[in-house]
Amino acid sequence: MWIAFSATFKRQLITMRRAYPWSFFIGHILDGVYITIFAYLSYHFIFQGQLNTQFVSYTGTSDYLSYVIMGGVFNSFAVSLLMIVSRMLINEMREGTLEALLLTPSSRLGYFLGAAIQGLMRSGIEWLAIICVGLFFGLNLVAAHLALLLPIMIVLCFALFAQALVLGGFMLAFRDTYITQNTLFVIMTLVSGVSFPPQFLPDWIQGLSLIMPLYYGLELMRSVMTHAAPSSDILYHLLSLSTLGILYFAIGLLFMKRMEKSVLEKHFG
Amino acid sequence: MMKMLTICQAEMRKSHRHNFNNRLIYFSMFLWPIIQFINAYYAFKPFNLGQNSPLSRFVPVNKLGLFLITGCIAYIFFWSLVQSAWMMGYERQQGTLELILLTPASRTLIMFSRAAANLIEAVWMFSIFAILTIFFMGGLHIAHWWLLPFAVMVLLLSAVVWGGFLNTIFLFSRDAGFLYTLFEAPMEFFSGVRMPIMAFPIWAKVIAFVFPLTFVLTILRAIVMDGKTLGSICIPLIELAIILIALTAASFILVRYAEKHAKETGNLTFF
Repeated sequence: MWIAFSATFKRQLITMRRAYPWSFFIGHILDGVYITIFAYLSYHFIFQGQLNTQFVSYTGTSDYLSYVIMGGVFNSFAVSLLMIVSRMLINEMREGTLEALLLTPSSRLGYFLGAAIQGLMRSGIEWLAIICVGLFFGLNLVAAHLALLLPIMIVLCFALFAQALVLGGFMLAFRDTYITQNTLFVIMTLVSGVSFPPQFLPDWIQGLSLIMPLYYGLELMRSVMTHAAPSSDILYHLLSLSTLGILYFAIGLLFMKRMEKSVLEKHFG
Repeated sequence: MMKMLTICQAEMRKSHRHNFNNRLIYFSMFLWPIIQFINAYYAFKPFNLGQNSPLSRFVPVNKLGLFLITGCIAYIFFWSLVQSAWMMGYERQQGTLELILLTPASRTLIMFSRAAANLIEAVWMFSIFAILTIFFMGGLHIAHWWLLPFAVMVLLLSAVVWGGFLNTIFLFSRDAGFLYTLFEAPMEFFSGVRMPIMAFPIWAKVIAFVFPLTFVLTILRAIVMDGKTLGSICIPLIELAIILIALTAASFILVRYAEKHAKETGNLTFF
């Protein structure tokens, strides 16, 4: 597993330096920045800081700007990580290297982990850039729970990595990246509490937030990065996120294996 | 005119064969715009939307749904053309751009026909949804019935001119994805699709007036929401006409320059 991991990591690093489509990189940063500016203009220029009382009761804070900017920051991070991992195999297929990859006895998990860890470097830069812009537009960070930040980040990355495996399986099944990934992203942005608490949505749509790692990730990150006192639900959300991650991981590995077989049969005859 | 219709028909057949071999296309044509509309609507929920809401300085709170759906429908018209222009990059990669330019058809006509053909294919589904939603929500206030088809014609014409211009710009591009990123989100954001531009600070208003969509939305909303007559919207109509003429002239010049540049560098089939 280690050899596949380090080889993929190195290859992805070279690709990033030499041939990465930087439009993705700038696009992810801009997506987060636009959510931030939209929230800032809406809050100050249209609504003059007047919030709905339900917003405060659902979120436990009256700091709307921090709520939405955190949403924009982690939405971009999630989209970026999901895209990096899920598009790996279909890109190999498009570039004509999938057959060679499938013929090697290398560990598939090591391959995906190598791509994910290298991808985290890029997503991390995007994440930092959006946070820096957010600080100018009213993001208030607290440094009271830094010790909690690392374990939460690790669990969130694992859950997103696992979700990306399932997404990648769908991409191979549909032979498509653009529509498959963006359909997930528009639904994820709607139900995960990016720019408003999901409790505002009708119950039947709200239920979808429970299968989105981003929803739990946002609840946890807001709790430790922007609230002075962490929410009592922190353990519940952390457990839910871990369980969801393990579930996606199991489904993703099985689905991916099945799709690889199907691609071999259909694509390479 | 007949030439344009022939090119338009050919482009429509091409785009239909290219895009509709995969049923997933219905997700991007129908599901995404609906979800984006719902998202835009609920993004206002955290704010005070009561009777004393500050929003009512710009839009009556009970007409927020109508405000957003008119914004969404006009945006979809323009967005589908940014997307079709983005596909111009694939013509280059697949080697078909050179073949298109070898035909005796007028280059500028190809650019505008391509935009018109893709537009009708891309927007009909969401348009039906939007019309049904508008009738369901109510709140339409139109001075004369004929202003409605007039507004649709203004929207169609502006979208085609904008699309033709973008197709021309994308002729130069080697990384079309980057231009797509630069054009798509700011257009949605600054044109007043989801927010009244009157509420913007000066710097944002300046950016807003770069996009023809801003003027189209002002005219569309004045007709369907405020019941304005043709006489009272003549100023934004003239402003829009000037922008459209400028864009058409720029397309004519740029398409010739792009072809000349491509002939010199021989990069028509290279990415």
